[in-house]
Amino acid sequence: MEGEMLKGHLDMIVLAALASGPAHGYAVIEEIRRRSGEAFNLPEGTVYPALHRLEGAGLLSSRWTTAESGRKRRVYALTKRGHSALADQRATWRQFSVAIAGLLGGKTAA
Amino acid sequence: VISEYAESLARRLGFDPGLARSVRQEVEDHLWEAAGDASPEAQRRAIERFGDPRLIATQIAAVALARQARSLGLLLMLVLGGLFLAMKMRIAWFASAQFHVRDDLLALGQVLLSIDRAAFWIAIACGAASVVLARSRRAQARLFFPFCAAAAIAIVASVVCDGVLTALRLVDRAYAADLLLPVLSVLLEIVFAAFLVGRIYAAARRAALAAYLRTNT
Repeated sequence: MEGEMLKGHLDMIVLAALASGPAHGYAVIEEIRRRSGEAFNLPEGTVYPALHRLEGAGLLSSRWTTAESGRKRRVYALTKRGHSALADQRATWRQFSVAIAGLLGGKTAA
Repeated sequence: VISEYAESLARRLGFDPGLARSVRQEVEDHLWEAAGDASPEAQRRAIERFGDPRLIATQIAAVALARQARSLGLLLMLVLGGLFLAMKMRIAWFASAQFHVRDDLLALGQVLLSIDRAAFWIAIACGAASVVLARSRRAQARLFFPFCAAAAIAIVASVVCDGVLTALRLVDRAYAADLLLPVLSVLLEIVFAAFLVGRIYAAARRAALAAYLRTNT
């Protein structure tokens, strides 16, 4: 999938990847890959500015833990506001995708 | 290989040592997990998938600087609120304690009061503009700090006027405990203004260093 197209929706994608529970950056990337059926293959580093931006906006919180390997690991989780923002974005996306499907399919959206 | 890559990314975030350290730890953890085994080839592949460190550092720096600008804008408005309260409290106290400016100093007092009011309104206008600019992405870099600096200069001018106006009311008065409140309120204003100027200076230095690192590393 086109990188530019993905970038515009990166915040929503990251929020959705964290909907199932707290995760560190690498796990977020893996979750995005898995749930998109490998269709979303961004440069992995691009997820970190998005994580930091979402944390700054109060949609994510983070805490440092120690991984089994002994390395320090930053784990992100959705906040209440993050859950609410994701729900809003889901609703908007559904409306948008129905409208686009109608447009591209030549039918009027219901 | 991974340590060198993480170090090169952290170097580009050197304008904020705390941020650089945490990003380095986060990126190293990611890359070691992505590499799986420790072979140089696996490490190189993990780094390739991670992306250009310059681009990632630029994006992380932009997020950090935007957050810094927002908190500075908020601090500016809090300081203005604090100064306003200190001023109002002092004026009310002067009125109740019947502390007036001597007749021969009235003209000077009026001039200082006009400058004080104008400076405070300018500080409010520039502070409000800074808050708006801190929330907008495009104009922020060019205009945010000039407006912050203008607000800080106006605040310093207002605090200096407040100090002199207070001194005019206290001149010829013998030292007594009831002088403490106006003196302390002026000292409080000086502390607020000095703290704000220090924070603006530090933030401007970080932003300038970030711009330097963006173009020279």
